[in-house]
Amino acid sequence: MTKRMTFKSVSEMPEIPISMGFMDWNKTGTWRAQRPYYVDKTPPCSASCPVGNDIVSFIQKIAEEDLEGAWRVLREENPLPGVCGRVCFHPCESRCNRSFLDEPVAIHALERFVADDMELRKEKVKREIEKAKEKVAIIGSGPAGLSCAYHLARFHYPVTVFESFSLPGGMLRMGIPPYRLPREVLEREISLIESMGVEIRTGVTLGQNLDWEELKSFSAIFMATGAHLSRALGIPGEKRRGVFQGLEFLKKINSGKKVTLGERIGIIGGGNTAIDVARSVLRLGKKAIILYRRSKEEMPAFEEEISEALEEGVKIRYLVSPIQIHSRNGLKRVECLRMKLGEKDETGRRKPIPIPNSNFFIEVDSLIIAAGEEIEFSFFPKGWERREGILLTQRDGSIGVKGLFAGGDLTSLQRTVAHAIGSGKRAALAIDCYFKGRDSEETLRQILIGEGPSISIFRYLHPDERPMDSHIVRFEELNMDYFEQARRQKESKLPPKVRIKDFREVTSTLPSSLAIEEAGRCFSCGTCNGCETCYVFCPDASILKREGVFLREVDYEFCKGCGICFTECPRGAITLKEEAK
Amino acid sequence: MKKIPIPIEENLGRGHLACAGCGAAIGMRLVLKALGERVVMVFPASCWSIIPGFWPYSSFRVTAIHAGFVTGGATASGIRAALDVKGDDETLVVVWGGDGGTFDIGLQALSGAAERNEDFIYICNDNEGYMNTGTQRSSATPLMAWTTTTPVAQPKENPKKDIMAIMADHQIPYAATATIAYPEDLLRKMEKAKGIRGTRFIHLLSPCPPGWRIPSEICVKISRLAVRSRVFPLYEIEKGRIYTLQEEKRVVPVKEYLKLQGRFGHLSNSQIEEIQRRVDESWDRLQRKARC
Amino acid sequence: MKKVITGNQAVAYGVILSRVEVVSAYPITPQTTIVEELSELIANGRLNTRFLKVESEHSAMAALIGASTVGVRCFTATSSHGLAYMHEMLHWASGARLPIVMVNVNRAIGPPWNIWSDQSDSLSQRDTGWIQLYCENNQEVLDTILQAYRIAEIVRLPVMVVLDAFVLSHTSEPVDIPSMEEVDRFLPPFCPSYPFEPEEPKAYSVITTPEYFFEFRYKIQKAMEEVSEVSRKVEDEFYVHFKRRYGAIERYGGEKADLLLLTSGTVTSTSRLVVKKLIEQGINVAGVKIKRFRPFPAKEISEAIKGAEKLAVIDRNLSPGVGGIFAQELRAALYPGEEKPVIFGFISGLGGRDITPELIEEAIHYALSHSQPEEEILWLGLKK
Repeated sequence: MTKRMTFKSVSEMPEIPISMGFMDWNKTGTWRAQRPYYVDKTPPCSASCPVGNDIVSFIQKIAEEDLEGAWRVLREENPLPGVCGRVCFHPCESRCNRSFLDEPVAIHALERFVADDMELRKEKVKREIEKAKEKVAIIGSGPAGLSCAYHLARFHYPVTVFESFSLPGGMLRMGIPPYRLPREVLEREISLIESMGVEIRTGVTLGQNLDWEELKSFSAIFMATGAHLSRALGIPGEKRRGVFQGLEFLKKINSGKKVTLGERIGIIGGGNTAIDVARSVLRLGKKAIILYRRSKEEMPAFEEEISEALEEGVKIRYLVSPIQIHSRNGLKRVECLRMKLGEKDETGRRKPIPIPNSNFFIEVDSLIIAAGEEIEFSFFPKGWERREGILLTQRDGSIGVKGLFAGGDLTSLQRTVAHAIGSGKRAALAIDCYFKGRDSEETLRQILIGEGPSISIFRYLHPDERPMDSHIVRFEELNMDYFEQARRQKESKLPPKVRIKDFREVTSTLPSSLAIEEAGRCFSCGTCNGCETCYVFCPDASILKREGVFLREVDYEFCKGCGICFTECPRGAITLKEEAK
Repeated sequence: MKKIPIPIEENLGRGHLACAGCGAAIGMRLVLKALGERVVMVFPASCWSIIPGFWPYSSFRVTAIHAGFVTGGATASGIRAALDVKGDDETLVVVWGGDGGTFDIGLQALSGAAERNEDFIYICNDNEGYMNTGTQRSSATPLMAWTTTTPVAQPKENPKKDIMAIMADHQIPYAATATIAYPEDLLRKMEKAKGIRGTRFIHLLSPCPPGWRIPSEICVKISRLAVRSRVFPLYEIEKGRIYTLQEEKRVVPVKEYLKLQGRFGHLSNSQIEEIQRRVDESWDRLQRKARC
Repeated sequence: MKKVITGNQAVAYGVILSRVEVVSAYPITPQTTIVEELSELIANGRLNTRFLKVESEHSAMAALIGASTVGVRCFTATSSHGLAYMHEMLHWASGARLPIVMVNVNRAIGPPWNIWSDQSDSLSQRDTGWIQLYCENNQEVLDTILQAYRIAEIVRLPVMVVLDAFVLSHTSEPVDIPSMEEVDRFLPPFCPSYPFEPEEPKAYSVITTPEYFFEFRYKIQKAMEEVSEVSRKVEDEFYVHFKRRYGAIERYGGEKADLLLLTSGTVTSTSRLVVKKLIEQGINVAGVKIKRFRPFPAKEISEAIKGAEKLAVIDRNLSPGVGGIFAQELRAALYPGEEKPVIFGFISGLGGRDITPELIEEAIHYALSHSQPEEEILWLGLKK
């Protein structure tokens, strides 16, 4: 560090104008009119993840080949990455900025890769020893209940989960066939939750062998009993023998029970249950025909499920609506009307309108109705507020009764695993706030991911680490000069003919080399990943390193505020603002 | 994304007087990193007579000799000769001249040195005009560009001088173009140049935010667009005849490059087309040379 | 060892004997044979010397500025237009305080082209901060080069050694060429006071603001002021080794003279003969040879002219609008002193025209017969 020099007399000066020190006394930071600074912003993937996964962080860990780190990042928000990596509808990918360049990053495949990799290494999770005194009861061991239990266990609360079925998992076990979610994956992740001290009591049903009195010994209760009633079509003949309910059918199949079916099975409905039923039917060696009253575009089932079903040989007849089920000698004649599409309805889908006198018959051996699920409210105390068939809650899951919280399919029409996990997380946080006397609404607000509703438990536990601006990074804010088109890695699938022979998992986990390559496709939107582009291009060497380590710090003593770091940052992790005068 | 590996040493110290966002400061920082400590830098007059700072200071952490405007090639020849006489074949001699000091006033000295195949690296820091004196045209100023001596009413009537062809025809062992948006490429070329004896010439395009009338934050972006538009292709010439052309995958029309710069703000569409035509021609010519 | 050699050969011997390490030059008549001679001597591998055959005089000096900054002994030679072309670099050499030695073979500057002797080229460079030494014969040429390095390296200023075109450059005279060993004893290796160390990086010739530029120029003047004393000491040492002495000026002829004839370069040799002849005729006249033009030896001249009533100056140069440059410098030098002789400023021999004994005699007679010059400039030998 050179100080300013002054020469009072000519005799103090050298004979020649040769330099005697450096310019670092000259603090060029005073020239600055605009100030760059590092601030991580919200990537659209995380913003759209109902679970609230820190997607960019875990993918960056994969890119750095730190798989354990990736696992830890995932587990900050989600106890079921192996499940989500398989069955989530991955809205993260639909919002992925990479799709503007080529194709979205295969986020689900990477999540699954990390979860499965940890399995291979048989990681042991440390049992939480110190426990808080407040006990929490969770009714239902589906994704919402498990998620809530997991996060409460992390907050050191003793948790008991009550499950009416003989095995935990809820809809994950009952509703999702093993070719999509192998049982060992589910069991592995449940057992990790149990290893944290969560007690799961199965075969306990509220209103039967568990009553509300017993639950009074718990300081808080989280209700996550799900939606298990199949919705009726309300047409003549649907109660006949040989007409099954979709969810009931899946429960039987998935718990290893036998179902007697004919050869040709008609399935009514267009949701995931219908597809799951159809594909399971194929695996039982039968033929499956789906009858759906709108067209393919309006089908609520996930697109990939539909195309896999079609590959496997499921037939789908669109724009047909059953109006009556006739039965003779076991054979079902389904009387249908042809439909046409009208205006959009409140769900944004075009409404089916019957074409008068278009009646025709479809003959099947068995019929399975999968027209959606409803909630069994019968065992709930009176006075709990409901609307549109769901239980009404605050954003934090509280239902207006002290110490009572609810989540999962019970409280939402968005009936996905991810939404359920997210609601369990929010409830865990709300319960923690409830015990600690904190304003849960305010706490939630501080840890929202983007605009919410997902939250970051990591930020709740570590408020000063990895702060994140709620601004959601748009594609235009990224610098595409640093990215070239690269093909999305695809998980390999069994050929359709092999798949339908049994319930083996269709899709396999990405091999490590491809996963790392795929992770490299992530833009890391809004999140500095230490690529050092700013450091390379700074004309004033004002992006700091200490002992060779990149610090993500600007040296404001010298930074002239040219803004090159801001423009060049490939991922919009630097913000430029006008310097205060 | 992988990091761009650059040496950690900062031989251009902080506190220097380059304008905010100076492309040449980026270039200098990278070049000095590539060159290491055992180097004598020669500076014929340019922005770099001022940027390092006033006596008794300097921003350079390596030996720097400021020299007369005309004299880059000659001063370096003398320094090399003296080092040779002293038995110092370790210290590299590197000239850093501006486009004025290279294309114009210093061309004779450079040509003389190149013909003698003097053992030094000559870096022409080309910002396409006399920027230090307030943006006057040089023979490196592009066709139809505005400068203070080629006002909008009569922008530059002549195309930029092809300094690379001139240098190649001296049959020097190595000549290469480079620009700041491609630091890895620049470092590679510097390394390659270091490993060769004789006159080595690096034509380094360094955008000048005030002179080009661009906001400082797009300095690197403009440098990249210069390459992508093929206004400034990246290539190497060995022994004056072996051309290696670096094909840019993402080619953009010159308009993309021109439209961001105030110095081209007056151009009509037909003038832009004319520039495009000339750029295409030069590219074809270069490709033909590369095929030979 | 005595040898009959031309002035240009004497230069080459001087350079070789000084163990110059870097030579850089560009050919120009009548300097060319210096370059040729040096090329030959260096090519024969007698010395560890690099010879840069640059593309111009400007580059010749620039190269030496680079080389000298690194701390090696440097040499170049030029003439006339070449020197003029170098002008910018002459300032650079002195401003950077580099002890470069250069020979300039005096030649007129065109147009019209003229390759013959005339001092206008070197005198045009009087304000560039170079020491200028004008030689009378080939022995002096060689000796002055050896001394020039000693002086330059002590005061850290460049030295220009000047000799007349053809009259010296291409004229052979017997010259005593000292041995390398003898010269080595007189002229030690160059040891720069600001050693060049790449491992201790510094910036050279850094831009300087009004805050300090002034002081750097003051230091150059102070260095110039040391030259008289340093030269005297160097000559004393030179005398010990070689038994020859020249001085900044040399007075010859009668002890007491009413008229002094002042000349520089080879005109002095002719003048010596004329003065001798006139003294023999009983005319009270003497001569002064001015060897050092920069710094101008005002004190030495004041001493030498004590008692003289008239000074006749023969200038083989012309500063248009003023006249002879030596006369002009002389007037300025004597102005503060008590002695105020009448000065007769003659211009003669421009563009290589012979300055014959008759012309010199004419000048002396004119001065003797006039109490004041009739004109500011007295044209000697002009076709009127």
